[in-house]
Amino acid sequence: MRNRLRELRAARRWSQAELASRCGVSRQTINAIEAGRYDPSLPLAFTFADVFDEPIEAIFRPEGRAVPDGGDVTGATGA
Amino acid sequence: MTTSEGPSDLDRAARRAVLIDGTPVVLLGGVALTLGSTTDPARRGLWIAATVAFTLSVVWVVYRAFRRADEYQRKIQLESMAVSFAVVLVALQVAGSLDAAGIGDLRQYFQLIVVGGTLSWLLLADLRTRLSR
Repeated sequence: MRNRLRELRAARRWSQAELASRCGVSRQTINAIEAGRYDPSLPLAFTFADVFDEPIEAIFRPEGRAVPDGGDVTGATGA
Repeated sequence: MTTSEGPSDLDRAARRAVLIDGTPVVLLGGVALTLGSTTDPARRGLWIAATVAFTLSVVWVVYRAFRRADEYQRKIQLESMAVSFAVVLVALQVAGSLDAAGIGDLRQYFQLIVVGGTLSWLLLADLRTRLSR
């Protein structure tokens, strides 16, 4: 799974710790997801969608699938 | 890119909770060790009570820490626990074989294996989460 977490967070000038606090998880978790070492559960993915005010499919994308709206889904391979 | 190294609110709360939960447990462990090192048979009951209380409190603290952890931390803990469990199983098998061959004392091996298994669990979890700090 690839994700745009780092990009969306940078656009809002949030630190990993700030995003972690907003989502109710640890900073390690944010770091692991951004680095592609861990794929979040569906409830946590919905939390990210709420926090960033974006649909889930705009944040997470299966490996190798193109982004329809031209957004750059970044991130390493899933854990 | 803003990637502050500071902990999140959840991290800070977890550390504070572990400190609050862990301090009495460490003190209880010290009491159990002190009582265990005396040769006075009258204190044997106290030593057993302190050891049981210490063991139960360790289980309680680990349980609370696990409940407090988020999904990624739980995954790391469970994977580390699974690997350590496999290590303990193999070590017990080896210890049993050695004991059957008359080499060493199974009771001593057992103590070492329990301590070693716990340490390997904590070490593995620490090494895995270290990658994400």
